[in-house]
Amino acid sequence: MVERIRREFRKRDLCYLGALLLLPLIWPDPHLHHLLVLAGIYAILALGLSLFLGYAGQISLGHAAFFGIGAYTTAILTTRYSVPTFVAFWASAATAAVIAYLIGRPILKLKGYFLALATLGFGEIFLVMVRESRSLTGGVSGIFGIPWFSLAGFSFDTYLKQYYLIWGVLLGLLLFAKNLVRSKVGRASLAVATSEDAASTVGIKVAQVKVGVFVVSAAFAGFAGSLFACVMSTASPEAFGLSLSILIVMMVIVGGMGNLYGPIVAAIFLTWLLDILGGYQEYSLPIYGVILILLLIFFPEGIGTRLGIRLMYLISYRGRKKKREEVQL
Amino acid sequence: MTPWSLIPHLLTSGITIGAIYALVALGFVTIYRASQIINFAQGEFVMLGGIITFFFLRGGGIPYPLAALLAVILVIIIGLLLQVLVVYPLRKASVLIPLMATLGASIFLSNTSGLIFGTLPKVLPPFSGERPLEIGGIPIAPQSLWVLGATFLLLITLYILSHRMLLGKAMEASSTDPLGAELVGISRNLMVLVAFGVSAGVGALAGIFITPIFYTSYNSGTLLGLKGFVAAVLGGWGKNGGAVLGGFTLGIVESMSVAFIPSGYKDAVAFVILLLILYIRPKGILGSPFIDSRRW
Repeated sequence: MVERIRREFRKRDLCYLGALLLLPLIWPDPHLHHLLVLAGIYAILALGLSLFLGYAGQISLGHAAFFGIGAYTTAILTTRYSVPTFVAFWASAATAAVIAYLIGRPILKLKGYFLALATLGFGEIFLVMVRESRSLTGGVSGIFGIPWFSLAGFSFDTYLKQYYLIWGVLLGLLLFAKNLVRSKVGRASLAVATSEDAASTVGIKVAQVKVGVFVVSAAFAGFAGSLFACVMSTASPEAFGLSLSILIVMMVIVGGMGNLYGPIVAAIFLTWLLDILGGYQEYSLPIYGVILILLLIFFPEGIGTRLGIRLMYLISYRGRKKKREEVQL
Repeated sequence: MTPWSLIPHLLTSGITIGAIYALVALGFVTIYRASQIINFAQGEFVMLGGIITFFFLRGGGIPYPLAALLAVILVIIIGLLLQVLVVYPLRKASVLIPLMATLGASIFLSNTSGLIFGTLPKVLPPFSGERPLEIGGIPIAPQSLWVLGATFLLLITLYILSHRMLLGKAMEASSTDPLGAELVGISRNLMVLVAFGVSAGVGALAGIFITPIFYTSYNSGTLLGLKGFVAAVLGGWGKNGGAVLGGFTLGIVESMSVAFIPSGYKDAVAFVILLLILYIRPKGILGSPFIDSRRW
């Protein structure tokens, strides 16, 4: 077991973990705690989408809907049927996964723009359903008074406690994702992303792999949605629109495709950016649009990836330069 | 009143909105045929066309036709800028990046419009009088006839442009075989630029025609754009005729649905149709020249 843990975490990772544990204690600012809680929730979402987008190479612009399904499942179960939040947490992920399976079979036959549009359409349908089935979801105003997340009598009722809860869940899911990526399914999904034809010729069941990854990534979104409902204690349709889907995809792109740590860092970065932009009132969204475009033009492979390559290039360039100088001497 | 007695009214309003969907769909198809890019900011051209005309007419006191002309020119310039500043730098990226960039442009355009022209919904006066014409006992707003006539004219213009003129053929050539087109002296970038200009112009005209009938606000472009895309897929992706047929079909079905299901669900109808058509017949009603290519 110890050996296993040692293999899983290098020293560097332990440093990150320590920093995450201590950060809110060193900096006891409730606003920062709240931001980190939000960033953690988005990071769970982005991690899930990263499996689908980065590893399986498929596009989804409907992940906000799975997030919403998770949030509404928790909201309805806890407020209407007073189910414990811990049970609702798992039920949310299960609901999101089942719905993802049902729509995944037909939708995932599509590729590229058409897949993007179909998932986007699914998101819009979800929003309309939520707004219109008022008896179940409370319509436009949503559901209020969702209880705090509680486990065995311990209630996560401050931002600090929620911070540890969410980053704990994120850590667990990250371990799961890391193992999944290295498993047979993970390697198969990488093959599918590279070339579906080549993958199917070596015996990978392409459709099955795609649906499987889609379901897992929807379950991640379901977990995130459940936590979001508990933290915000409300669920209303505005929170689960197209703009959230765009934001999550941006997190994965900025973090770098095919990378599990990237989306988490990008989630923190973009949450912080949105918070700063929020200070500019009505100018915030136009600026946000411009920043999105600039990020895509200058860092289409993610800030981290590009940075790594650039650093390596720089180092090798200096190395070559040194060699050249030696040769000249 | 039974649902059936509403049908004639719903049919006329469905045809009107269908014409608008058709124009938006034509915009998508024009850009796609030249560049294989789907411009998700297409709906914003429509919104900008209506709102800029309103701004010139009410704020500047410029006569109606001149205001409309100025708005179309401005939107075409915005479309060209979009191509130069956003799409051109990303011409070598994979599908996802231009898609997200045009979505980012859509966020920028709609919110900037809200910032400059205000967030209240706007409505233009009709082109020729408010008094509805009675045709066969059904009142029809004159504006609907304007919309239909304009759609018909634009369709013919685009048909001539893309099938009967050298420019249209060059645009199509640069899309089907970029290298070959470059070899015979067609500048691909110029063709994509022209396509963005044309589609922005068509979008702006759609916006000017629709604003007297439906309120246009700074954020109504996105949904209109998406429905136009659905229309283009429904009719047969990549065909001008398909875009028009899909537009009218979608408009009529969506409008008719109000008689049978609660009106709040109206916006979901288009997307349910989309999912069904993608599942059952992805190449659309008329079939698509692009759909059997491997990238789909």
